[in-house]
Amino acid sequence: MIERGFGVAEGVSAALLWSLSALLLAWVALLVLESRSRRVSPWIVLSGVVTGLLLAAAVLRPTRVTTRGTDLFPKVVVLLDRSWRLDLKAGDQTREKVAFEALHALQKQLKQTRLEVLGFGEGAPKPFVESQAAAGERPTDSDLTAALRSLSAAPGERPKALVVISDGRLTSPSEAVTAAGLKELAGRLGVPIHTLKVADSAPPDASIRKVATTGAAVAHQKLVLQLTVGCSGGLACDELPITVEELLHGEPPASLASGTAKVRDGVATVELPFTLDRAGRRLVRVRLDVPEGDRVPENNQRLLTFDVTRERVRLLHVAGRPTYDVRALRMWLKADESIDLIAFFILRTTSDNMQADDSELALIPFPVDELFTEHLPSFDAVILQDIDAVEYKLERHLPALARYVRAGGGLIMVGGPSAFMGGGYSGSPLAEVLPVTLPDRDAAPPLDMASFEPRVTQAGRAAPALRGVRELLGERLPQMLGSNTLGPLRPGAISLWEHPDRRAGKDPMPMLALGDSGDGRAIALGVDGTHLLQWSELGERSAGRAYGALWEGLVGWLMRDPRYESARLELTHECRAGAPAALNITRLPGAAVDVKVSLERLGEATASPPRPLPLRMEGDVETATLQLGVLTEGGYTATVHIGNAPPARFDFACESGGPAFADSRPDGALLERISKESGGVSLRAAEAASLQAPPPTHVESQRVVAPLLPAWVWALLAASGIGAHWYARRRAGLL
Amino acid sequence: MFEKKAPRRRVVLTGLAALAAARTARAFGDVGAFNPRVVVTGGKRLSGPRSTGPASWSMELINRTSAPARLTPREVSLDRPELCNEPFAIWAGESDVGSLSVAERRGLSKFIRLGGVLVVDDSDPAQGSFGRSVRRELLRVLPESPPVRLDASHVLYKTFYIVDRPVGRVLGPPTIDAIVRGKNAQVLLLSHDLLGALARSDEGSYSLATEPSSYDQRQHAMRFAVNIAMYVLCSDYKDDQVHAPFLMRRRAQAR
Repeated sequence: MIERGFGVAEGVSAALLWSLSALLLAWVALLVLESRSRRVSPWIVLSGVVTGLLLAAAVLRPTRVTTRGTDLFPKVVVLLDRSWRLDLKAGDQTREKVAFEALHALQKQLKQTRLEVLGFGEGAPKPFVESQAAAGERPTDSDLTAALRSLSAAPGERPKALVVISDGRLTSPSEAVTAAGLKELAGRLGVPIHTLKVADSAPPDASIRKVATTGAAVAHQKLVLQLTVGCSGGLACDELPITVEELLHGEPPASLASGTAKVRDGVATVELPFTLDRAGRRLVRVRLDVPEGDRVPENNQRLLTFDVTRERVRLLHVAGRPTYDVRALRMWLKADESIDLIAFFILRTTSDNMQADDSELALIPFPVDELFTEHLPSFDAVILQDIDAVEYKLERHLPALARYVRAGGGLIMVGGPSAFMGGGYSGSPLAEVLPVTLPDRDAAPPLDMASFEPRVTQAGRAAPALRGVRELLGERLPQMLGSNTLGPLRPGAISLWEHPDRRAGKDPMPMLALGDSGDGRAIALGVDGTHLLQWSELGERSAGRAYGALWEGLVGWLMRDPRYESARLELTHECRAGAPAALNITRLPGAAVDVKVSLERLGEATASPPRPLPLRMEGDVETATLQLGVLTEGGYTATVHIGNAPPARFDFACESGGPAFADSRPDGALLERISKESGGVSLRAAEAASLQAPPPTHVESQRVVAPLLPAWVWALLAASGIGAHWYARRRAGLL
Repeated sequence: MFEKKAPRRRVVLTGLAALAAARTARAFGDVGAFNPRVVVTGGKRLSGPRSTGPASWSMELINRTSAPARLTPREVSLDRPELCNEPFAIWAGESDVGSLSVAERRGLSKFIRLGGVLVVDDSDPAQGSFGRSVRRELLRVLPESPPVRLDASHVLYKTFYIVDRPVGRVLGPPTIDAIVRGKNAQVLLLSHDLLGALARSDEGSYSLATEPSSYDQRQHAMRFAVNIAMYVLCSDYKDDQVHAPFLMRRRAQAR
């Protein structure tokens, strides 16, 4: 395509052009005024005008411009909302389907354009391919602001127009955005933003629209859950009950709080205070009891994950008698500033003769009932060291202590004559949460007097909890002067030290064993001489540090300190019910190992059978991704066994709706505002075919500029014109 | 005269032997038992009636408390690695200990730095040469930790019995000097002949009379010995906040 036109010489600025035009107009005006006042000949006026034009031409030096080029179809970018939220209904079909239909109509209508379809949600928009849409991961958010910022910052050709296909319930800009904010957003690209609304009306729906908490979740400290409940689509709402529950492993959900949302003008806000006693990842379910007619059941509950921290680890240390072993443990616990220690030691027995009145004694009664009822939930872990459960009336509290462990508490039973079988724990509920079984009292002697050096097991060599001791002492351990009788390991438990001679069933008898029980963890230590890691010739080699290293590892593992976990686990993306989920497993570098992952549902009284998922990690692989498959809504715990190391656990939630479904109301008004501020149009999705394409883009490929006359000719003509005009004036007697 | 009023001893040393046999049979539970090992330096051993003091100390602890104790405490040299096999030792004597060898100083330093507790018991506090010489040697071993006077509210006075002051065979000064490292009193410097108060003859009677002669004083000495043992076994357990209101009430009642 060739286009021809005229121009002026290069270097002539617009200011000069305007100045010349003004001078020329002034000159013509003077001529006209003169002709009226002096009745001069029209020829003089004409020659004056011609002279002015020739002078202007001499300055501007007119050129002829010839361009060759092509008209390109305009570039149009379609931003398609990819949030989960578009799985909500718009009439009989999903909003996503409506969006796809609008996209199809648009693709037909805008054939004379270069259409680029991008999906937006979180961060920069990504190319959208409809055939791969079902397999792709869907975002929760609809962040149009981030998408527009990304487009404006991208190099290359700018689009002539944008088309946003959404229901308008955007994460950003929100419905509260000001006109100035919208103007700034639309002005970033400087092109019209057309919007296509995929939904017009809100479905009848009561939902938990917003969940917020004041402050971080800290164990034992009150947390306030702030809920916004909404009711829309003509659903009759008045008072809606709300319950908050914690999902536990192998237990029914534990109630944390409850309340009522009193809906006024379609909205209610509720504050529900509750306390999470256990640190780590905790799953909390918030349920809204909705009235009949609710069409969106997915947003009637939320599954919230809290990473509960603790200010200090609160430990209860109970010892049946004071010994050097008790002393060493107490001194180590007291020296650790991160531990809040509550200790009770039995300092006298009923058979002791103190030879003093009670008033002369500094002894207080052992508050066993108070400790194991009222205060038990406030502890992160309990250490029972060589204490007789029967003699000290602990027996009746063992069921509660077992429940405490299953609910997430930690337990360490430290050996001695009055621990394990010797302390009356065989057959008790507490024995069921220990990582080892305890033989019946009559089935075996509770103790063995033979000296021995505990042997480190394969798991002990792999366990991060024993890394510190290994680094200081290698595999040597001090000689112990006897052992408790412990039974075989419970399923899933791990033995780190074993007896070199005694056996529990077919296997060597565990002397140090770790295991999960429900949401809690327990450690069984069948010796009473770990202080020998400090107070022995072997212990002296490490200047006594091996003792601290052992207990730091054990308490750290018990408290789920990531340093002592065998693997770091995280979801590859947010888990959504009905969509495939995957887990990233990161382990310490080492030899190739088999990884066994089992998946169980949380919050069910009868634990569902774990679903084993095998995986092999080769030597140089530190992170592997395991596909968990398609999960239904609920809380889950993934237990990962890496080789022989103690298992690591990861709790997570899969939501049907999640925050994406929290507010089911479309917001067409927001889309209209965006279009208005940017100079675009807002249409219903069904009207996509009526959207007009922007004009084509002309791209020049060649441009030729040639002067109409040489510059000296223009100068000569201007001089001649001045001469002629001077002569005419002279003849008319005007000079 | 108070000595004559002493009630029939429930336990005599012959009985101690039988009990010792019964306790040692449970070797498993005894690995962490209180063991008042006697320090030997420069070949100087604790001799005479006070050599029964450590066993008697263990016996009193067993009879009065739930704590296990070794009834046949051994001697331990400061220059032997066995010193660091347990966290407690008692260093008693009545004359100047002389200059410690380099190995002894090194062993003592290691024991203290590992967290051990040492009781220095001057058997002849009137003369005081033992106590002075030990202080001199300790200053060479731990120059950064000079002895300080323990406050009357120190946990040592309430670890088992509520006592007002240190007491041994002699009444001695009403306070104790100690080398305190961190929060722990690790070397207790006694000028009360504590082992003298605990020493018994083969027949079970007390070997040495208290000064002044008093049944109550001996009882108080034993209580103080029990408190020291409990301090070794439980450290500052009775300083825990949970005990505070109870102990305050008890002290108020006693007044």
